[in-house]
Amino acid sequence: MSVWASPLGGYPRSRVVRRALRDYERGLLGYGELERVVGEASSLIIGSQLSSGLTYVVDGMVDWHDIFRPFIESWRNVTASGLLRYFDNNFFYRIPVFTEKPEASKLVWAPRVRRYAPLAEPSGLKIVVPGPVTFTSMSINKTGYSNEELAEAIAKLLADEVKAAIEAGASMVQVDEPMLADHDATRDEALLAVELVNSIVASAGGAKTALALYFDVPRSEVYDAILDVKANCISLDVVDAPERALKLIESKGFSDHCGILGLVNSRTIYDDPVDKLVEVALRVARSSKVGEMGVTTTTWLDLIPYSYSLRKTYLLGVLTLKIQENVGVAGGV
Amino acid sequence: MGYSVPRKFPTTVVGSYPKMPSALEAIKRRRSGEISESEFNEMVKVAVRDVVEDYLWAGVDVISDGEQAREDMVVYFAERFKGYSVGDWVRVFDNEYFRKPVVTGRVEWLRPITVELWEYASSISAGRPVKGILTGPYTMIEWSFDLHYRDRRELILDLAKAIRREVEELVRRGARYIQIDEPALSTRPWREDAELLKEALDIIFKGLEAKRIVHICFGRLERILPYILDYPVDQFDLEMKNSNFRLLAYLKEYGYNKEIGFGVVDVHSFQVESVKEIKEAIDKLMKTDIVSPEKAYIDPDCGLKRLPRDIAKAKLKNMVEAARQAREEW
Repeated sequence: MSVWASPLGGYPRSRVVRRALRDYERGLLGYGELERVVGEASSLIIGSQLSSGLTYVVDGMVDWHDIFRPFIESWRNVTASGLLRYFDNNFFYRIPVFTEKPEASKLVWAPRVRRYAPLAEPSGLKIVVPGPVTFTSMSINKTGYSNEELAEAIAKLLADEVKAAIEAGASMVQVDEPMLADHDATRDEALLAVELVNSIVASAGGAKTALALYFDVPRSEVYDAILDVKANCISLDVVDAPERALKLIESKGFSDHCGILGLVNSRTIYDDPVDKLVEVALRVARSSKVGEMGVTTTTWLDLIPYSYSLRKTYLLGVLTLKIQENVGVAGGV
Repeated sequence: MGYSVPRKFPTTVVGSYPKMPSALEAIKRRRSGEISESEFNEMVKVAVRDVVEDYLWAGVDVISDGEQAREDMVVYFAERFKGYSVGDWVRVFDNEYFRKPVVTGRVEWLRPITVELWEYASSISAGRPVKGILTGPYTMIEWSFDLHYRDRRELILDLAKAIRREVEELVRRGARYIQIDEPALSTRPWREDAELLKEALDIIFKGLEAKRIVHICFGRLERILPYILDYPVDQFDLEMKNSNFRLLAYLKEYGYNKEIGFGVVDVHSFQVESVKEIKEAIDKLMKTDIVSPEKAYIDPDCGLKRLPRDIAKAKLKNMVEAARQAREEW
């Protein structure tokens, strides 16, 4: 079994980035200088992942205010509105308000990939997009179209994003659908999500693809539907509610997908119990018989302070190495 | 000076109000070590006066100190309880950050925290009651990092004991309304968590001679509701407007029988609700036949701190007028 590692998503901002963004918003710093600061910060974050031995790295997305914002700012017919709590975190996102079906005015990922993919070598650069069902359900729909139609329109733009990002050099595509892990998510929502995620990952060519669910564990009937997704991998948080997560994995497995396990807790700051987590990974490997295992963080790392995100990156590397020693071989790009 | 709170549809606030410049300056100077805690409180009183004047202008019946001293609802208490350390910066939204506190030792109450500003607000409130408002233990643990206990129950119960000491101080000085804010509860709406908080509230509210209020907002209120109805409280103060009053049907279904703090003003929207709109919301509550007008406190969904001051004032003014009209009808 091959085992590899990648952080789930974005990183927190360092003090330098926070100050640069603040100064930029106050008109005290030019866009070029902000870009330079963000570029340096992203390079450091990529470097920390490389030195921890991670196989797929992210650029940190430190200039994103939330997972939806860069897309809102790159699309017509949608604006960022008031604040709403982002799942069970003390973090708020701005609610996207759609007034018509969105149209892209520019690409979010392709320019970033061209900039950061060379820095990520020999690892691969992973891009992350919000899933269309999560995007729609966390937005206000004033388009006159149904939520399903809006989600389809979003999926189409995200597929274009993915295609351009792959052409620019991205190695992995992750679609985040945390809403599907919510207790209230329905099988119908999961079926729609699977259909739309399939249309997005179809644009990824031969790159590795993943559907990521986090903040909770999906209900059994929702997970049954998710198992039909055509992404290569399914990513689950195994730490937040470990018994439920392991029960689900042991009873359903990952079908023919590679299983990505959210093992490093990215909502706490203490050092994760690496040896215990190795045991969890071994338990999953035995029960689910996955041929390939990804190891990741339970959620994006931007909910903890910057210094701890670097520490968690290191722990992710250590944990993956220990799992590799026990069960398999390192997975490469 | 006496003030008679209306028997029907008394108006109130959840607590926070837009920060006045003097409060922001005081927080900054205290943080940099330029001023002591007592000098800090003196500076903040200038801000509290402005807030109370706004409340009186709008005609709110049961008011607060506007939480002008609180840089953040968790950080404020964490910095004043024993056992917490100053944390590192974590984002709240956009490029706004707060220093998420870290529990590094046993949590204990050291000295009165909110009392001085509560007393000051009470002294200038023209007799209107001022709520004693404290961040609840569940929210304190959810929005802090813990490097000491690693046992949520043990930590939440110690926090409850610390909060109880502060509550006792407030009640001893005359507070008649004690509100515990638990915005984090609705984000993790599981029975185990609700039961954990109940255990903590039993400690905080036991034998208390004051109105006992718990404020919960946003998230999945309808999911948490069945688990909290037997909490030892007189009133749940609930966000309603932002979620388009969808909770009303659930309150009806579960046979809700406590007082309600009925959120009629959306604190996330800069649009000022009209008197008519707010009155219709109150009518909706009455037509659902859950509580009598005597058990319905009319207030915003949550604290007003994220709004510009003029919008916050305008919202409160319309809310008070709508409540007045509702009193004539119901």
